[in-house]
Amino acid sequence: MKSNIKYTNPVGVSRYTGLLLILPFIIGSLVLTMYPFAASFIFGMTDSRSGEMVFTGLGNYRSLLSDPDFIDSALVTLKYAAILVPLKLAVSLFIALLLSIELRGIGVWRTIFYIPSILGSGLAVMIMWQFLFTSGGLVNQLLVLCGLSPVSWYGDSRYSIYIIVLLRLWESGSAMLIFLNALKGIPREYYEAAKVDGCGNIRGFFRITLPLIRNAVFLNLVLQTISALQEFSAPYMLTGGGPMKSTYTVGMLIYNEMFRFGDTGYANAVSWGLFVVITAAVAVLFRLTGRLSEEI
Amino acid sequence: MKAAGIIKKTAGYVLLSAAGIIMLYPMLWLVGASFKSNDEIFSSAWFIPHDLELSVYVRAWRTVTPYTMGHYFLNTFGIIIPRMVFSVFSSVLTAYGFARFEFPLKRFFFSLLMCSMFMPAIVKIMPMYMLWGRRGLLDSYIPLTLPALLAGEGSFVLMIIQFLRGVPKEFDEAARIDGCNTIQVLFYILIPCIKPVIATICIFTFLWTMNEFIEPLIMISSVRKYPLSLILRLSADSTGDGYEQRKIIAMSVIGLIPSIAVFAAAQRKFVSGITAGGLTG
Amino acid sequence: MKKIVLTAAALAAVTLSSCGNRNQDISVKPDGSLDPCTLRFSWWGGDDRHEAALRALELWSERYPDITVIPEYGGWDGWTEKTAAQLSGGTAPDLMQINFDWLISMPKGGDAFYDLYSIPERIDISGYDSEVLSFGEMEGALRAVTISVSGRTLFYNSEVYDSLGAEYPETWDELIALGSSFSGKGAYPLDLDIQSGGTAWYLAVVYVQQTTGRQFMTMDGELGFSAEDIKLALDFYRRLEDERVIRTIQSRTDEDGNAALYQSPEFIDGTVAGVLEWGSSVGKYEMVLPEGVLEAGPLLTDGESTDGWMIKPSLMYAVSAQTQYPDEAAQLLDFFINDPDCAAIMGTTRGIPASSYAQAALEEKGLLTGLAMESDELLGGADTIMVSPYMELTRIKEYCNEAIEKVSYGQTDTGAAAEELYNSIQGYLEKIRK
Repeated sequence: MKSNIKYTNPVGVSRYTGLLLILPFIIGSLVLTMYPFAASFIFGMTDSRSGEMVFTGLGNYRSLLSDPDFIDSALVTLKYAAILVPLKLAVSLFIALLLSIELRGIGVWRTIFYIPSILGSGLAVMIMWQFLFTSGGLVNQLLVLCGLSPVSWYGDSRYSIYIIVLLRLWESGSAMLIFLNALKGIPREYYEAAKVDGCGNIRGFFRITLPLIRNAVFLNLVLQTISALQEFSAPYMLTGGGPMKSTYTVGMLIYNEMFRFGDTGYANAVSWGLFVVITAAVAVLFRLTGRLSEEI
Repeated sequence: MKAAGIIKKTAGYVLLSAAGIIMLYPMLWLVGASFKSNDEIFSSAWFIPHDLELSVYVRAWRTVTPYTMGHYFLNTFGIIIPRMVFSVFSSVLTAYGFARFEFPLKRFFFSLLMCSMFMPAIVKIMPMYMLWGRRGLLDSYIPLTLPALLAGEGSFVLMIIQFLRGVPKEFDEAARIDGCNTIQVLFYILIPCIKPVIATICIFTFLWTMNEFIEPLIMISSVRKYPLSLILRLSADSTGDGYEQRKIIAMSVIGLIPSIAVFAAAQRKFVSGITAGGLTG
Repeated sequence: MKKIVLTAAALAAVTLSSCGNRNQDISVKPDGSLDPCTLRFSWWGGDDRHEAALRALELWSERYPDITVIPEYGGWDGWTEKTAAQLSGGTAPDLMQINFDWLISMPKGGDAFYDLYSIPERIDISGYDSEVLSFGEMEGALRAVTISVSGRTLFYNSEVYDSLGAEYPETWDELIALGSSFSGKGAYPLDLDIQSGGTAWYLAVVYVQQTTGRQFMTMDGELGFSAEDIKLALDFYRRLEDERVIRTIQSRTDEDGNAALYQSPEFIDGTVAGVLEWGSSVGKYEMVLPEGVLEAGPLLTDGESTDGWMIKPSLMYAVSAQTQYPDEAAQLLDFFINDPDCAAIMGTTRGIPASSYAQAALEEKGLLTGLAMESDELLGGADTIMVSPYMELTRIKEYCNEAIEKVSYGQTDTGAAAEELYNSIQGYLEKIRK
């Protein structure tokens, strides 16, 4: 598949055609990316806690690496992403496979499975999670029924991260939609050919389906990694970052510093710290999947 | 063959139903809760209310502002529709450029595209607020819609690039031999193949805009121009003396209807795509 | 490569100019007359407050048809962020409802707001006592006017107390003794939290202030407590948990998740039978219990005095320093704090008014009843301390809540936690004080 690493433009197409096509994006990257990035970097060099903006140079950035708040929350965030992303890919692919079967009324089912993602992180979700995971909640009742001991989901810093992971797994709609798109793009003829070759369901999945949707798998891997590393609203709503900061993600740290504590300079510096973490993570993903050379 | 098919379908339905209940529960709860008093809402997870008093929906629709929720729906659509059109237009063009052409600084711009997604969105709010403020564009929908015209959502571009990669380049070449130019190739050949992705982008734009809160709150100050997401939280004051939770819930139930309807309508698009004849045609 | 460098340079220039050019806020001087104009007035709140304020504005437009007021209102979520953006972007409304700590925590601090002493002919402050007025004073300028004053007091579930044959505690010892009598029934006489409100730290502060006579934090941001005082507060908290007066943080979190107490099944069913809350916002607790069940309890004492309890302005009005119409904005402010007809419309939707003119109007209409009023009277009869705006800063609250959490989870002993808390508060105060 990596045959034409350097794809050349069709005959008669100028080497500037591509530039012209991405012109909206180029303007956008100046106004919407580079300008706010530059501004944020400059904000990161200030201290506005006294009500006046004091220029502090690279102080905020330099202290990041030795800042326990940033390091702790970066570790929480990385752990969270490492748990969530593989699970989410598996769950959303499984649901997408279910929903790609042509059943009568499948549209209704697709809608039902997407509803959690529509609800986002509102009151209904908060209450449902309380009903499930508080000390006398449904999950613990089931555990006791199975002869296990109940778990302190909300109150114990070893388990609290899982209630957030579970929320995000339940809201797999977007990833599912991308998989569904890809699955629906597989020509039926491929499956028929596979059946002739005697491929069973499971083998068919690994031999035909998975290779054919690998673009979608990669896309979801990247998008889900980015959003997991930026996680903010789920812990904000479910746990408030606690207990004992066990769910205090970098996203929450940035939000709190910027909006609740009014420490804009530090919040911007932390954002750049997060930026570096995400860039590194995505670079690793590209490297592992050998995408970089193929992409451009 | 037939029996196996039936078993497969039955198994499918059983699995779907079990999972479906888990998915649907909060929606049912939300509708039930819109009829409950505050103590009933928080003390029981059962969704059926004691009594049905529909007047809460009438009050919810009216809102405390001089306008009804209908007005705010229109406001929201006034943001969503340009956003959808702009997003699709700019993302498709950009993705087409990246996926099918060679040009100077391509790697640099692609890195920029990726980087734009890595920065948490909230750090952009203050610089953008100042930028729009200096142009006198605050309290208008331009700060909320214009970025879409400039391919502001990097994930959309990335998404289309990935799906364009699945469309064989032989298609383009064949079309060029038939005399299509660069734009015609995009419109006649590629866009029909990636219709489902475009539908997906529309769905995401719709739902994200419906839920978006902090950015419109900061950019828009006139109550008359509020989008629905601000109205849904208009009555919630956790610092205050208490509020009627059910009315807030009733408002959000009303607010969810278009999202669900749009999703239900748009998901039909996922059967088409290149299956229909892309490979044979 | 050249291109990139050029672009970057151009961008840096744009950014710098957009940051540096914000010094155009030279205040407009009052001109002594009311001219036709359009004012913006912003507040956050719930439905009742929105409705009342909109009706009051109708009355305003009858009185002052030439001065149009555009209301900008919303829920509490995000309102601080919105106002901060407006104040730093130079787009703030002319008149704003603000929180006490905004006077020091907003961009530019108190200077963000107009000195109301420079417009004396528009604002009548004769209805205020000097202590309440001083909440809004900074270095001789009046930056904000208190709308209502409130303090946290104790409220109890009377049904549960009656069924257990318990009396509302009057002293700290009585409160602690209740722990054991309630625990036999699986109940708790009180609940304290470490969420953003931080009632746990608040009650501990009241206790220490009463015992030592020292104030936790002064109005101008000096830490009054020593590390030992802080240890005393944490020990007191520890004791409440140990004696089962309140739930431990872990069991509270396990039972309620991240929900507030008024959303907690344990409070609604009476397992938790008491709450420490601002008199101005006790309504949401009252609402989830049957009518009349929640009652105000006495201020706790050491047997002699009720010193140490605190009050603060629950809401304030301030005029933006960038307003083009200081006279008109001040007139609108005066209308909302003093006008008897306006007060009758507003009722207690912004708390019990601090202005005696507004209070008299409500008294006449018989609107001054209920738990908020009872709480107000309890505090009125005590020798209260004014809450420092510095104590209200979210960062300070966060430090205190963290210390309590560490003590509750047994991660550190109270001595070490007190030492750490003392140092973090001192370090932070040094950075933010001018």
